Amino acid sequence: MKRIMIDETKCDGCRNCELACMQAHRSTPGSIYDLDLTSRENESRNHIVSLQDGSYRPIFCRHCDQPECVMSCMSGALKKDPDTGLVLYDGEKCGSCFMCVMNCPYGVLRPDRTRTRVLKCDFCTSAGTEPSCVGACPRQAIYLEEVIG
Amino acid sequence: MRHVIIGVGAAGISAAGTIRQNDPAADIIMISKDEFVHSRCMLHRYLSHERDEKALSFVPEDYFETNRIYWIKGRSAEKIDTKQKEVLLDGGERIAYDKLLIATGAKSFLPPVGQMRRAKNVFGLRDLSDAQAIDRMSHNAKQILIVGSGLVGMDAAYAFLERGFQVSVVEMADRILPIQLDETAGKAYQQLFEKAGCRFILGRKASETVLDDDDMLKAVILDDGTRVECDLAVVAAGVRAAIECAADSTVQSERFINVNERLQTSDPDVFAAGDVAGLSGIWPNAQKQGQIAGWNMCGIQMNYVDTYAMKNTMNFYGLTTLSLGRGAVIEGDQFVICEDSRNYKRAIIRDGKLDSILLQGDISYSGIYQYLIKNQIVLGEKAERIFDVSFADYFDIGPDGQYCYKIF
Ligand SMILES: Cc1cc2nc3c(=O)[nH]c(=O)nc-3n(C[C@H](O)[C@H](O)[C@H](O)COP(=O)(O)OP(=O)(O)OC[C@H]3O[C@@H](n4cnc5c(N)ncnc54)[C@H](O)[C@@H]3O)c2cc1C
Ligand code: SF4
Ligand code: SF4
Repeated sequence: MKRIMIDETKCDGCRNCELACMQAHRSTPGSIYDLDLTSRENESRNHIVSLQDGSYRPIFCRHCDQPECVMSCMSGALKKDPDTGLVLYDGEKCGSCFMCVMNCPYGVLRPDRTRTRVLKCDFCTSAGTEPSCVGACPRQAIYLEEVIG
Repeated sequence: MRHVIIGVGAAGISAAGTIRQNDPAADIIMISKDEFVHSRCMLHRYLSHERDEKALSFVPEDYFETNRIYWIKGRSAEKIDTKQKEVLLDGGERIAYDKLLIATGAKSFLPPVGQMRRAKNVFGLRDLSDAQAIDRMSHNAKQILIVGSGLVGMDAAYAFLERGFQVSVVEMADRILPIQLDETAGKAYQQLFEKAGCRFILGRKASETVLDDDDMLKAVILDDGTRVECDLAVVAAGVRAAIECAADSTVQSERFINVNERLQTSDPDVFAAGDVAGLSGIWPNAQKQGQIAGWNMCGIQMNYVDTYAMKNTMNFYGLTTLSLGRGAVIEGDQFVICEDSRNYKRAIIRDGKLDSILLQGDISYSGIYQYLIKNQIVLGEKAERIFDVSFADYFDIGPDGQYCYKIF
């Protein structure tokens, strides 16, 4: 499977990846120049945490080999695709219990603004592209790699 | 190899999937009283008419075909004959197994209060069949009584309020959701439910019942003599493990079916997973136990180690809460509270390690707290900023790109 690899030492905290994610998942048409950054309609699936020492840590879904979020999902909304290895989320099925938010050991997940859906990386399958965040990173702190999963 | 699984709940389904993954040639037979595969955690959405039977399923519609599972539905496993290695069904048929998994879950417990057990309009809420029976009977009802304000009771209250019934909740403790929440967090939900029209009677027990000639419950008398009228009651006063099918067999059980760390019972070819094994009463753990049992049934030795089960989330009226740990303070504990207009957070730190945490409001990125608690990580300076701690503080990556914790 493909995974978005992370080299946190290269991360400058520019947050272009967050913007690209927001743009890829926005509900309205338009370009990045008219993306409403403050609207909670356009929430990012990934995030960058800045540490006190001035360094950064990219927090991105790992599409884990043994995904705890899937193990905790009571509606069948979260599933690991056996072919692609991606951990995908079906909002229509979701029962909004947020057990998955509690069970992702890496604190990747969160409820959306309406508290009815989970914000989860879909590898840009909904946008029909390669992961947008990867293309947006100017430092190659995140990059795609084929891994055995 | 023929695997037989009793139960199509969280544990049974997870075990079946695991077996199929690891043994493409195995015969898999599942037996269930359930006619529909359904997630019990969504039964309130059926009662509220937000979802139908099919929308409660947590597996794809073609699950049994694609996984080549023979499913005997709507039937009860009555006995297990470990000598012959057979399961006896209610119709007298015998189903032979090489490996057997008991994943029968639990059933509602109706306390012996007055004539509660005799009344035709008093229900537990555990299975879809309960919800269906409640729904049929509710068409002539106006006033609904809920006994118990745990998660199941509040689920039921929510559903009836959505449908416009008059709902009264009787709770023994002096606050709602007493096991999961503290007073402040419980109060927040109480107010939301009251705004939706719910009446709470706290610190009271039902002690007598009033039945009419048709054995219909008309009212409940509380321990202080108050009379609460009702047309239908849902009793959410706890569950008992569904161990009956193993009762007369060599499979040892007490209140639960006894299992070792591989989830194997006293009979080496019989396994048990989920609520029936008594190690937990929540969905994620039942699924994980099903997976572990599935591996062991395929001969892949695996221990059930991720046993932490004092965890819950809830979401009513858009207010979300995460609760981990017992939440009881003892002497010497550090007790941290952080509150603003939208959030209430409370942590209990014991011997420098996180013991319990409750987050109400924003629960974003809170997955790390369970790790900190169950691995009893020494917090050090992070204790000071416990509500701001994130995975970034423990960030590490394996060669395959998966995250792992770096503990200093
Ligand atoms: C209303 C409600 C809300 C809940 N909400 C949550 C929640 O939000 N989060 C959470 O983590 N947990 C929740 N739970 C708990 C969760 O549903 C259980 O922990 C979980 O379902 C346990 O899975 P299981 O496979 O052990 O048993 P179950 O899911 O109960 O499945 C048992 C299966 O065994 C079958 N069966 C039983 N006896 C026999 C027999 N003799 N013969 C044949 N078949 C039999 C049943 O038909 C069923 O298919 C909730 C439970 C209820 C009732
Ligand atoms: S949400 Fe968390 S547990 Fe699930 S696949 Fe992503 S990183 Fe893994
Ligand atoms: S919130 Fe949705 S995706 Fe997450 S565990 Fe609950 S049902 Fe599954």
